[in-house]
Amino acid sequence: MDNLLHTITLMLEGTQVTLEIFCITLVLSLPIGLLAALGRISSLKPLRLLMEFYVWIMRGTPLMLQLLFVYFALPMVGIMLPDIAAALLAFVLNYAAYFAEIFRAGIQAIGRGQYEAAKTLGMTYPQTMRRIIIPQMIRHVLPPISNETINLVKDTSLIYILAMNDLLRVARTIVQREFDMTPFVIAGVFYLVMTFVLTWAFKKLEAHYAKYDQ
Amino acid sequence: MQNMTNNIMLKMTDIHKSFGELEVLKGIDFSVAKGDVLAIIGPSGSGKSTMLRCINRLEEIDSGKIEIMGRALAENGADGRAEYVDEAKSREILACTGMVFQQFNLFPHMTVMENLLEAPVQVKKRSVEEVRPEAEELLRKVGLFDKRDAYPGRLSGGQQQRVAIARALAMKPEIMLFDEPTSALDPELTGEVLKTMRELAQEHMTMVVVTHEMAFAREAASHVMFMADGVIVEQGQPEEFFAHPKQERTVAFLQNML
Repeated sequence: MDNLLHTITLMLEGTQVTLEIFCITLVLSLPIGLLAALGRISSLKPLRLLMEFYVWIMRGTPLMLQLLFVYFALPMVGIMLPDIAAALLAFVLNYAAYFAEIFRAGIQAIGRGQYEAAKTLGMTYPQTMRRIIIPQMIRHVLPPISNETINLVKDTSLIYILAMNDLLRVARTIVQREFDMTPFVIAGVFYLVMTFVLTWAFKKLEAHYAKYDQ
Repeated sequence: MQNMTNNIMLKMTDIHKSFGELEVLKGIDFSVAKGDVLAIIGPSGSGKSTMLRCINRLEEIDSGKIEIMGRALAENGADGRAEYVDEAKSREILACTGMVFQQFNLFPHMTVMENLLEAPVQVKKRSVEEVRPEAEELLRKVGLFDKRDAYPGRLSGGQQQRVAIARALAMKPEIMLFDEPTSALDPELTGEVLKTMRELAQEHMTMVVVTHEMAFAREAASHVMFMADGVIVEQGQPEEFFAHPKQERTVAFLQNML
């Protein structure tokens, strides 16, 4: 019994690392993704192409490769980052690219009529985006954002290869040491709890935004 | 007839506009004086909506001149192609215009009241406390004060269109543009919108209305203009226009509509 408690305590510490990566990535990649999306639909062609290139690279290569690249390749060219910062850099760049595509599609799904109405009322482009387009877009993109966010919880386990003691790595260490599969089961339950909480939160958000539905 | 120019709210001169190969406006000239209600009628594809949308720069003309309350929005440069004033100037000139769309285009994520407050507060930087009584007054006028906290999705098409009219009026425009305001409505709902527009006309609002409602053109308009294939075929006062149309195309069109 004591043993189990000890295991759980260790795994809670691992969960802390997992949650840290998750929260910081989410908080940074959402606004960066929105900016990238606005760049993707900008009338400035160089900016548009740059963002397209960025999204192409980030979506076209494995996140694992991106993590390894930031972690091992950057130090070779003299860029040294603390472990956690390296992992966060890769996660944020990758997730911002996915969010950018979701936001872009969400923005483009809003009809011309909204832009025209705003324009005839004298609103500028930034005002129109901030007050009219983006608030409507958020409602449309909640389901795909929810999906990506749940993916992120699970993707955090990739830092396992960077020797950071996240939930999955702690579990594996204990399993190897004690020849007991229980930690894997516990890890699974922990991940399920986290994704369950997220699913619930997004449901609440969707209900909140659905208030102006027909 | 003294000093006519001061009363001219809108003047369009030799307007040309193409979409690719297709020339939709082939030299349009007309002007609208203060208090005029101009009804523009014509078959679909005649260019009448495009013409209306050129007035407030939702579409840009290829050549010609657009003057709004004496200020040029666009005029021909040395190469004979229309040149527009810059964005900020354009917004300033167009501030005296308001528009009502066929599809209403209310902001669905805002309540009726928020739809009305949005532009005066965000664009004119006025305080909510200052604008709210005006907005309430406008909603009373269009008969929707009790719907002020509803979201547009909860309203009928006719109610949405009346809110859209109130929203445009909240910016205190001098000229109101209507782009087929009743075309998306069920027949039983057009009446309430037309009634609101008639009241506006009676208050001497300057209005340009693209419409299929012949009754509105006949009864509420001060001028009627018939467009076909990108040109103005015939125009005049409604009594004369409807009683004695002079052009063959006008006669054929009116017969079809009745």
